[in-house]
Amino acid sequence: MNLQIVCAGIGGRGVLLASTILIETAIKAGLKAMASDEYGMSQRGGSVVSLVKVGDFESPLVGRESADILLAFEESEFYRNLPSLKIGGTTLINTSKKSFSTDIEGLLKQRKIKYFFLDADAIAMKKGMIQSSNMAMVGFFSALKISIFTFEKIEETIRQKVKAKLVEKNIEVFQAGYALAHSS
Amino acid sequence: MKEVMIGNFAIARGLVEAGLELAAAYPGTPSSEILPGIVESKKREKLNIHTEWSTNERCAFEVAFGGAMAGRKAACMMKQVGLNVAFPPFLHAYAKSIKGGFVIVSCDDPGPQSSQTEQDTRLLAAHFGIPVFDPASPKEAGDIAYYALKYSYEHKTAVILRSTHRVSHARESIELFKPGSRKVELDEGLKYKGKGKLGIVSSGMTYSITMDVISELGLEKQISLYKVSRVFPLAPEVLQFVKRQEKVLVLEETDVALEAILDHGAKVLGRRSGHVPVEGELTYDIVRSIVGRVAKGQGMKVPEFNADTSIETALKEVKVTPRPPKLCAGCSHRASFYAMKSAFPDAIFPGDIGCYTLGTSLGAVDTCHDMGSGVTFASGFYETFSQDGTLKPILASVGDSTFFHACLAPLYDGALKKRRFILVIMDNSTTAMTGLQPTPQTGITADGTPTYSIKIENIIEGFGIEFLRIIDPYDIPLMLETIKEAYKYLEKESAGPAVIIARRECLLFSKIKDKDTRDMDRLVEECTGCKLCTKSFDCPGSYFDEEKKKICLDEGVCIKCGMCYYACPTSTEGKSLKALKKKK
Repeated sequence: MNLQIVCAGIGGRGVLLASTILIETAIKAGLKAMASDEYGMSQRGGSVVSLVKVGDFESPLVGRESADILLAFEESEFYRNLPSLKIGGTTLINTSKKSFSTDIEGLLKQRKIKYFFLDADAIAMKKGMIQSSNMAMVGFFSALKISIFTFEKIEETIRQKVKAKLVEKNIEVFQAGYALAHSS
Repeated sequence: MKEVMIGNFAIARGLVEAGLELAAAYPGTPSSEILPGIVESKKREKLNIHTEWSTNERCAFEVAFGGAMAGRKAACMMKQVGLNVAFPPFLHAYAKSIKGGFVIVSCDDPGPQSSQTEQDTRLLAAHFGIPVFDPASPKEAGDIAYYALKYSYEHKTAVILRSTHRVSHARESIELFKPGSRKVELDEGLKYKGKGKLGIVSSGMTYSITMDVISELGLEKQISLYKVSRVFPLAPEVLQFVKRQEKVLVLEETDVALEAILDHGAKVLGRRSGHVPVEGELTYDIVRSIVGRVAKGQGMKVPEFNADTSIETALKEVKVTPRPPKLCAGCSHRASFYAMKSAFPDAIFPGDIGCYTLGTSLGAVDTCHDMGSGVTFASGFYETFSQDGTLKPILASVGDSTFFHACLAPLYDGALKKRRFILVIMDNSTTAMTGLQPTPQTGITADGTPTYSIKIENIIEGFGIEFLRIIDPYDIPLMLETIKEAYKYLEKESAGPAVIIARRECLLFSKIKDKDTRDMDRLVEECTGCKLCTKSFDCPGSYFDEEKKKICLDEGVCIKCGMCYYACPTSTEGKSLKALKKKK
């Protein structure tokens, strides 16, 4: 199984932790996995991209229109990274929006891209954990049951990777993201 | 045991497992995580390894070189332009110069992503006859670090491990061994055997990308691929490989190292033949297009890749927030720059290397050439005007870590020669740009043990500099008045440089204190929509809402320091600052 995932967002919102959880989950399942991070010059608020490649690859870099999945932790970063998503790919966008402009909808339809909106910030805020919207994203993603990335497997990794005192809250947000995928 | 880690931590682990005894570094992206990795490994394995953040790369190099001369297994780490700072000792690190082992880790920055220039460490290595290794992945970087230290010890020569940011910052699962028990063989040689029409020679991360590209294009049986790990001295097998091919494409970063060594005229394709771009990173897309084009030229059937331009067409209609690098919301450097620019809008602003290089967007940084150059350029500019009998406001800026790194001699020179410029030392008590490493003033060492602190003001006083002020830059009016006072001092014939230390802890280091937060409602309520603050203050904590025609706060980013009030011409603070500006 080969899978190329682009995680894109802005600094300080947990993009790197999300990609860590994906790569660790893949490795635990016995797959080869690599990640490449780009965090530019600014410490906070700048664009952050983390590329994750799972399977039979040598490099962690993703070419144009090659990614299977685009996890966009912020709407502008979704647009910025859209050229990396392949025809028939899947994307999750953290936004309070319910629809795109007609141009973008047309493009996504033409490129047979499956897309899901989720207001991960709102979910995290509701649980009093604004910083953990990344967990809502990963929770929603786990509901798509892509390859080894199941709810149980990802939850196990979160429990290992997140600081002890924050684990339960993070799991709550993760579960809320998962539940949202099932209700929508 | 296995662990997911970045390339820099893998390098650290490899060195420690190979018996490293002494490590010295100066931080610089993309090399900064190696020394912390060594500290972590030494604590975990309970080893006695000397680890230090040196004041600059030359110090790091010579401390490690000295250790190696005296029989230690030593290493130093720096970024590619840092190696330039260590040039004098580097020239002497040739064969038989050491009794122990000596690995120089130099991390290149193709792009460049966070440097002034691209630079290929491998060229310097080949030029001075120092063996250089070019790993293709974090895992190989760890193996080569181990191999290189053993190799150095055995051959009594300094050895360079050249990493690039894609290797240093990639993450994968790395196997950890007990110190001394890793088995490493250099992974070099033929990876694909084609039909002799086209061979590719490649090293580093570019090799890994080339592997993926060949497999994507389905050319595994047609192209021959030779992987190189030790770029210099190059194994003779590489030259034999080149002989067997009709054409050879060289794919490497950043410059022409393999290509220059292989030089077979028209047979070798690469940067000099125009097949490979001469600057910038070799991204996946670029490698795919080069390999595709060259393979096609050699008569191979290659699947066409045509970018779907309808993506860009659709995106034209959407508003994408631009995210250029900016100083953090609430950064005290912004306050300093704003005061500098307000005091003397037409001054000359020699700047330096660090977070505060971003002062360019506030119009308060005119130059950023190399570490320490701000002070020396200020001297050169002063002498130029002085020759013509004029005095101009020259406002140089530098951060605390860079001050220690490279400004002592320039400032000593400036003081000795009575050069009349203002130097603002932006002291946030850390090396913020590269990940908060301690400076000589911080008072802690690389492994966290306390040490004494060298105060910047003591150095300034030691130089006999008469004008010295230490100010909290959040007090913008006081900063402005002090800069004016400093210039008044410079008007005296007998004056020397004036130094202002703008001291406030970095926000990444310590959270903003309650006493420093302000009520921000007024900013939005009283906004007249002039947009002046968006240009003159350029803070990521606020943005201009075109529909409301008002400034708005980004609640997740703004830290409520309230400094932007001074950049608002209608606020009380803005008005009072304007009055101060006019005051003679």
